[in-house]
Amino acid sequence: MATLPEWLRPGARPVSLLPQRATAHRLLRRTLGAMGRSISLLVREPDGPGVGALRTADPRAKLLAAVGLIVATTFLRGLLPLAACLALALALSAAAKVPGRRLLPVMIAVPLASTALLLPATLNIVSGGPPLLVLWRSAGGAFGPWRLPEVVAVTADGLLVAGRMVLRTTACAALALLLAATTRPQRLLGGLRSLGVPQAFVMVLAMAERYLAVLLRSAQELHLARLARSVAPIGVRREEAWAAAGVGAVFRRTRSLADAVTLAMVSRGFTGEVRLLRPACWRRTDWLLVAAAAAVAAGLLILDRRLA
Amino acid sequence: MHIPDGYLGPQTYLPAWGVMAPLWSWASARLKRTLSVRRLPMMALAAAFTFVVMMFNVPLPGGTSGHAVGSVLVAVLLGPWAAVVAVSLALAVQALLFGDGGITALGANCLTMAVVMPFAGWWTYRLLAGSSPAGSRRRWVAAAAGGYVGVNAAALVTGVLLGIQPLIARDPSGRPLYCPFGLGVAVPAMAVSHLLVIGFVEAAVTALALAYLARTEPGLALADQTAEGPSSRGLRRLGLSVAALALLSPLSLVLVARFGGGTAWGEWSAGELSRLTGYLPSGFQRLSSLWRAPLPDYGPPGAEGVSVVAQGVWYVVSAALGVAAIGAAVLVLRRLFTRKERDGHAA
Amino acid sequence: MSGSQGETVFAVEAVRFAYAGQPLCLDGVSFDVRRGERLALVGANGSGKSTLLHLLNGLFFPGEGRIAYLGSPLTEAVLDAAPFGPRFRQEVGFLFQNSDAQLFCPTVEDELAFGPLQMGWTQAEVFRRIEDTLALLEISRLRGRFPAGLSAGEKKRVALASLLVLAPSVLLLDEPTAGLDPRSQSLLLEILEALHTRGLTLVTATHDLTLLPHLADRVLVLSEEHRLVADGEPEPVLADTEMLLAVNLIHAHSHRHGRLVHTHPHQHVVAHEHVHGHHHEHEDQAEPKK
Ligand SMILES: Nc1ncnc2c1ncn2[C@@H]1O[C@H](COP(=O)(O)OP(=O)(O)OP(=O)(O)O)[C@@H](O)[C@H]1O
Ligand SMILES: [Mg+2]
Repeated sequence: MATLPEWLRPGARPVSLLPQRATAHRLLRRTLGAMGRSISLLVREPDGPGVGALRTADPRAKLLAAVGLIVATTFLRGLLPLAACLALALALSAAAKVPGRRLLPVMIAVPLASTALLLPATLNIVSGGPPLLVLWRSAGGAFGPWRLPEVVAVTADGLLVAGRMVLRTTACAALALLLAATTRPQRLLGGLRSLGVPQAFVMVLAMAERYLAVLLRSAQELHLARLARSVAPIGVRREEAWAAAGVGAVFRRTRSLADAVTLAMVSRGFTGEVRLLRPACWRRTDWLLVAAAAAVAAGLLILDRRLA
Repeated sequence: MHIPDGYLGPQTYLPAWGVMAPLWSWASARLKRTLSVRRLPMMALAAAFTFVVMMFNVPLPGGTSGHAVGSVLVAVLLGPWAAVVAVSLALAVQALLFGDGGITALGANCLTMAVVMPFAGWWTYRLLAGSSPAGSRRRWVAAAAGGYVGVNAAALVTGVLLGIQPLIARDPSGRPLYCPFGLGVAVPAMAVSHLLVIGFVEAAVTALALAYLARTEPGLALADQTAEGPSSRGLRRLGLSVAALALLSPLSLVLVARFGGGTAWGEWSAGELSRLTGYLPSGFQRLSSLWRAPLPDYGPPGAEGVSVVAQGVWYVVSAALGVAAIGAAVLVLRRLFTRKERDGHAA
Repeated sequence: MSGSQGETVFAVEAVRFAYAGQPLCLDGVSFDVRRGERLALVGANGSGKSTLLHLLNGLFFPGEGRIAYLGSPLTEAVLDAAPFGPRFRQEVGFLFQNSDAQLFCPTVEDELAFGPLQMGWTQAEVFRRIEDTLALLEISRLRGRFPAGLSAGEKKRVALASLLVLAPSVLLLDEPTAGLDPRSQSLLLEILEALHTRGLTLVTATHDLTLLPHLADRVLVLSEEHRLVADGEPEPVLADTEMLLAVNLIHAHSHRHGRLVHTHPHQHVVAHEHVHGHHHEHEDQAEPKK
């Protein structure tokens, strides 16, 4: 072996050029956190037996039920039916034991973000209508080049519009999450397969999902290597250059993997025609689930029209 | 730019699915013709790649961060039809398998990010790149322009989709049922945030990633140098008009100043809407972009006597003045949000 | 097993191959593989072992020279044709160096089903084969699992299962033991041993000289110049220190075995420490019980 340079030998004095201030790499850590969460969702183990009846239901049935309910939700207008829909989604999540660490971020972030977004819609300036709560009153007139409104007030119409949006987005998010959290992606793909989605499409989607884990791991490695070696912020320009190089590196991995996977498929007899396993038959409980979802959706819609 | 469920009414999302269905089948038919069927894995891997690109965060001026969509990069590398399939699949994985929402809006999201964006970007790139070699500076610049135009075109369409909601879906008493902000709010909000900030992120990531690949892989074959990209003149002309449309979108500022004055209050929030992505954490990371609230009712006094250009200038000035006021509010909200999210994870 | 003992499975004649726009990566390679043989390909990194296996599997085609399988030349046209192509794919299994590339299906079950379904077998037959193969390799509990969540050893075993489910008569193995812990390694070796006694032809690429005696009855050595420089039984080939040094497979150095430090200018062919009793039936290959 070649002799080690003196600065690599044990006992060498460290160079004291390190920056005085160690910065927390919040952005890097946040990205890494998001990647880690995605990976763990992808590689999550099969659920233990008996964890909620919703988990064991057929993925096709769940898919139909969830999509049906979400579509129905987008048709609802009244606050009460929307709230009922949200309550149903939350109750089902609780019954299916969706872990709090998955449910809570969504159930906090979505309403909060919607509320923030829609706050201005509660005001008379956007929604019009008679004022309910006057926030600000002025003599009107102009401030420099700007005309000032005489009254800024929260209105009943505005509250209804904003409330409807917040409830609807939250309910939709809760239903989508319920589906994803109670069904492993692989099973969901099986569900798609038997709902008439072309096999080639399902195969590509499945493969995308399969290799997402692999590509995310290499992106995670890039970020970890970066985190391990960097001590100070490097500025927006260089951050962009680094991210772009990372994207380029991931693309190279993408292409070499695609080549290798193609060969592996050909090696096992793939000639271009996709053939997949036929999924299991429908059971009575699966029909029941779909029927129940349809009934709930219909009930909500009828209630909605009655109240309107 | 992801639109979550609930912001678009069925009158919008159903036609969007209707538009996407033939586009998807056309795209896959095209790919079957141009790529060997055996290249199925490339589509899958490209979809996974797009998903990963969306996870690379880049800091933005002002302490926030954003991410590129990557559609234009995929179009440049593999061709625009490949991008249609790959980005659609990535969005489908996000919406369905990850439960990030946007299931009903998937058609609309695919329309903006998987069709408008790659094609607008691709045509711009093709126009500028000409037949320059893969590693050349010209190609690099063309890719940057492609990324910029592509993401802005997509933002414009997103703004229009959101902005028409109050026009087409109202309850019996005339209140908007879905996104309450009209065209005069949603379009400029989307346009300005993307023209000023997010467009540059997309441009930088597209061009730099391409430059990196050209540097590290001398034999790199880009989509337009293989048989995979379309090159007919008609497509090119159409591309030109889309690119022009995207570049002209600042004009909407002036138009809005002229016709949409009364609704200015909602603008800051509609700007946030653009970043209320299907998955919220990354959406909220980008909350404070350069687009902030203009002061209420920004029309200059005696609007009849003032030229459209002057009104446009006032509009932009008021937008800049609004930064301080709304910026503070947004920052407070962001703080609140990040803390809440952390609590959520700890729970 | 189809075919008689001793017939020529692969005939490789003066094969030269280069990837597009790259220098030669196989330069005039000739050898035969006979039925029931256990052949090992050794060579330094980049010497062309994986490339050669790809050529044997009909995934790439030689620029010059020819490769024949059971007397028929392997060309793109022949492999795309109906009776020969599918039969070749069924009879010759290829275990890729990168398990991630090989396991492309959403679940282990789908993975095993892929090959048989391509062959056009009925669903019932496919399910029966899957069950038997999973039991044979003792991975029934992995059936519903997601390949990305498996350990390296589990991935290798699932990949092997996805080949065995097709009942191949020839296995091409690219670095089958790389990255496995000693227990997974010995398990894999046991399986391969059992398959060999069942008459399978095994061609293994490796640079792990310690495992050679367990993997092969015959060794081919590829030099860094991408030529075949040795062909013979493991013992004499491994004893030829000069040749092994010349192809950069071994390195004169000092290293440590346990507490014993010694310097030796030759390979470290250490006795494999995980030799288990040889089982001649698959069925009684029990995992060592903890
Ligand atoms: N797909 C490819 N395209 C271009 N060159 C390649 C490709 N795959 C391998 N090579 C090159 O061909 C040569 C032989 O590679 P090969 O993978 O066959 O070696 P190997 O003996 O299997 O090495 P290792 O022990 O590292 O697996 C190397 O120089 C490698 O860089
Ligand atoms: Mg190799």
